Amino acid sequence: MVELDHAFSTGKPTDYNWDAILDLERVIPCVEGGKVIERTSPEQAKAEIKVKMGAMSMTFKGTVEVAERDDDAHRALLRIKSRDSGGQGYANADVEFTLNDGGGTIHTAAQISGKAASMGEGVVTTVLDALIKDFTEKLAAI
Amino acid sequence: MVELGPEDGRLTVHTGRSGAIAKVGHDLELVVTRWHATLDDDAVELTADARSLRVHSGKGGISPLGDEEKAAIAQTIDDEVLKGTPITFRSSRVTARAGGLDVEGELELLGVRGPLSFALELDDGHLTGRATVKQSDWRIKPYTALFGTLKVADNVDVAIDATLPRSTPDG
Repeated sequence: MVELDHAFSTGKPTDYNWDAILDLERVIPCVEGGKVIERTSPEQAKAEIKVKMGAMSMTFKGTVEVAERDDDAHRALLRIKSRDSGGQGYANADVEFTLNDGGGTIHTAAQISGKAASMGEGVVTTVLDALIKDFTEKLAAI
Repeated sequence: MVELGPEDGRLTVHTGRSGAIAKVGHDLELVVTRWHATLDDDAVELTADARSLRVHSGKGGISPLGDEEKAAIAQTIDDEVLKGTPITFRSSRVTARAGGLDVEGELELLGVRGPLSFALELDDGHLTGRATVKQSDWRIKPYTALFGTLKVADNVDVAIDATLPRSTPDG
């Protein structure tokens, strides 16, 4: 299990940010290589993330759902379950957003197995940290 | 004048790595499979086909490079780095010295021209030399992957190791 904490700022009001992070069709493409395959309900989508490494890539396919939401506290938990489409591995994560005026914080708890995990937990943590930082920068422009 | 090509020796490119997860990457030796050089007492020229780089070997990393990965790297160089653009070097000054030549000139890479100097060693018809190309000097952003955690080092070495073959009548 890899756990990471990040902060982000959008410069926009909390209500705006709240609507944005709960709109899976807007928030999923903020992950580099991420896209919605099918919105199956207002709070769930089939999605994929393609992680490129030159001409090689790994694609994880699965679901993203709003597993918990507290509208008063502006706290939401997005649950990601995915499998490596070219192998035996999986990548699952609980991503908890807590919003405040102008931004918020993200707590990520991820479990990764297979080829990606074989590079070692230190490498996985470093790459995941960079992925989430990139995500927070894109979130700022959402 | 002496002409050189792949049948006379090897022109190779050597890359290193940097970034937070550099240990998972490989130091690469790439072979340029299509190139042509001319060598005179007072002039050195070289052209290379940017689409002819092939990965010969990779050192380091967590696992050895397979054929599929080697082919993918060559593809990435074609698509995202050199993009098939002409590679040419023309000397502006060649200084003969004991055991070889000191060469100064201009390298064109991705349409950008910049100064490059290097030494060539000559030993009984055997030519060797090595030049360091700093990619950013040619406005190339070193290739990165995995959100910038793995990078190709800015300095790339180019080496030649050839046997001088034939002289043309006007040489």
